[in-house]
Amino acid sequence: MAIIKAKNIVKRYRQGTKIINAVDGVNLAVEKGDFLAVIGPSGSGKSTLLQLIGGLDRPTSGEIEVDGMEITKISDAKLTNLRRDKMGFIFQNFNLIPTLTAAQNVEAVIANRSRNDRKKVMASLRQVGLEQRAHHLPSLLSGGEQQRVAIARALINEPEIILADEPTGNLDSKTGEDIINILGNLNKQHKKTVILISHSDYAKKYASQTVEIKDGKIML
Amino acid sequence: MFYLRYLWAELTRRWGKTLTISLGLAIASAIIIVIISVSQSLSAAQDKVLNPLQNVGTDIMVSRSVSPENMQSLDETTRTEMMSENRISTDLSKLGNPGDQFVNDTFLPGTMLTFASDEMTKLDSSLVKESAAGLILNVVHQEGKIPQVTAEFQTGGEQFEVNQQIEPMTAEEQAAVDAAREKAMTDLQAKGINPHLEEGRQYVRDATQKAMPERLKSMTFRFTAPQRTYTQDVGAIATDIKTTNFAVAGVDTSKIDIGLILPDQIVSGTYFTGADQVIASKSYADKNNLQLDGTIKLGDKTLTLVGIVEPKLYTNTADLYLPLSDLQTLAGRENRINVMLIKSTNAESVEATSQKLASAFTGAKVTNAQDTAKEVSGSLVSAANLTNKFIGITSMVVIVAAFIIVSLLTIFSVNKRVREIGTLKAIGWSNTRIIRQIISENIVLGVLGALVGVGLALGAITLLNHYNISLSATIGNSDIGFGMARQFFGGGREATNGVTTTVPFKVTYSYIVILLGSLVALIGSIVAGTLAAIKSSRMKPQEAFRNLE
Repeated sequence: MAIIKAKNIVKRYRQGTKIINAVDGVNLAVEKGDFLAVIGPSGSGKSTLLQLIGGLDRPTSGEIEVDGMEITKISDAKLTNLRRDKMGFIFQNFNLIPTLTAAQNVEAVIANRSRNDRKKVMASLRQVGLEQRAHHLPSLLSGGEQQRVAIARALINEPEIILADEPTGNLDSKTGEDIINILGNLNKQHKKTVILISHSDYAKKYASQTVEIKDGKIML
Repeated sequence: MFYLRYLWAELTRRWGKTLTISLGLAIASAIIIVIISVSQSLSAAQDKVLNPLQNVGTDIMVSRSVSPENMQSLDETTRTEMMSENRISTDLSKLGNPGDQFVNDTFLPGTMLTFASDEMTKLDSSLVKESAAGLILNVVHQEGKIPQVTAEFQTGGEQFEVNQQIEPMTAEEQAAVDAAREKAMTDLQAKGINPHLEEGRQYVRDATQKAMPERLKSMTFRFTAPQRTYTQDVGAIATDIKTTNFAVAGVDTSKIDIGLILPDQIVSGTYFTGADQVIASKSYADKNNLQLDGTIKLGDKTLTLVGIVEPKLYTNTADLYLPLSDLQTLAGRENRINVMLIKSTNAESVEATSQKLASAFTGAKVTNAQDTAKEVSGSLVSAANLTNKFIGITSMVVIVAAFIIVSLLTIFSVNKRVREIGTLKAIGWSNTRIIRQIISENIVLGVLGALVGVGLALGAITLLNHYNISLSATIGNSDIGFGMARQFFGGGREATNGVTTTVPFKVTYSYIVILLGSLVALIGSIVAGTLAAIKSSRMKPQEAFRNLE
């Protein structure tokens, strides 16, 4: 059963007088436990597609179903809860909060739980091999370490879906491979559904499905 | 609590922002506190020092003073009364013998017309708590020598010619004379006296004289001298009379906490203790080099100077002070006064009491503290007026400027955190949580700003007080009447420029003002925080994908 189903989704932007079809009629189905690699040139609409699937943005038209729930028409609050409960996001720029330590960045996700579990935070960091660096500020961490903190943050809520937008884009290839290995392991050992946007060929090593996007359309 | 740790991290790790915003708030609140405190202190100083009536235990003054402006509109009776009250007649012939040194003091009420002292009994005790009478007079002091006026006339030396025809003797008369001589000669021969000697000759002469007709023995005639007029112009009488003016006041000595001067205003010497005593104002004593225990001649009395007084700012200061009854006697104005000092029963209702008193005393001028305060000038007043004029607008400008600057800074800092906020939204933070976080940050900044602001304000106030700033207040002496007397009679009471008081200016602050200043910082930060929160709530979670730093 597909955990993510996209049916003919379109996202249109108006840029001045020009209308841009960032995503132009995409149909997609991602099965639970899949590792979907999305490739394509920059400006092709990959990131927009990921934002639509991740419930960060709404399509102009079309339907998206996540875990059996139609998400294009639900309220912002429900969308927020969906992101918090079902998704883990990993960004190209890591997007750690600079004033918080590694552990605090991870904890931020579960901050409003009645009992926020420090043990879970440490376990999550241990999973990415960063237990020792838990109390460092992001500025004291290397790029790879920061991205691993971001992965730990994405995992703390035990989401079913991990959405990663070019997580290796700002890393050297060796570090990038480490990150992809982590994501691969999450997919293989923890049965997480991973949607990865990447230029890296290395990603294909784990991908169960690869789609190429060009001009907002999936190339077949 | 994660929120608190996040808050703490935000504030401590972005200390530049924390410092800028909280300092901005602090300066705004400090300015507000200082401005209001200075203004309030000035007003307080003004109320205290510049409420001249208060300084004599009074809040209302009743007099019959006439101002020069409405002199023309006076009714005939009052005008006549004023003229007669202010008449000076110096009869030099009554002051002594010509050439004598004289001193003459004339006591004039000027425009402060007198009234009977029993008018005091008309005061309604429900309105008036305490009252005191006063008599303030202008003294025209003349001294000099009584001139001796002499005119000298020299007469005599004139010659008159008198012509009178005398009839010669008739023959019988000649015969009778000759017969008398013959008889005398015969008598001499008989007595044996030589007629050619002195004795004989005399005898003959007497005898012949006797025989002469009566007509030739004596002559009587009437002579009338011609009439003539002597005119001698004696010219102007040279005198050395000098005229000076000063003010003398009669003090109701039965009261010690209300009156033209009060015992506690004596700066050296004592208050009145007995008869024939006088107290001088400090400025008059200094100007005329008066010494304590020295004597002052006033009218026909010699008074002993027992005290020097520093009259508080007051519209009716005098140069010399006497017990009221002494002055009344001296000035020939028994049972007359020209000012009533009144303390109303209720300090709140001075205005109402003034009005009631005005209706009780027709034609009287009722002055209360507010009226007299208007006559005060000086740097204290200027400063107070200035702050009163600008406090509102300055405070508004400061508050608005602070709000704008702090809001801009806060929004700017939120804009810099757009990716952070987008990320928080992406990982499942609700708008409410984000708004709460940002407003909390601003409340802390506001509290910080308020604390620092209060500190700055107290520092500034301490600094201001450290410099011992002093302001002066001058109140013009309302001696319009005396001034007029001066114009009429010449001479010069050297213009007493009223009383000037130097007020050490101390800035005090109240907790309310501190609270107000703190609120400025707090409200400013909350307003800014709210704007920033609204801004952040409109940010989209996909801002997290922005690739620019």
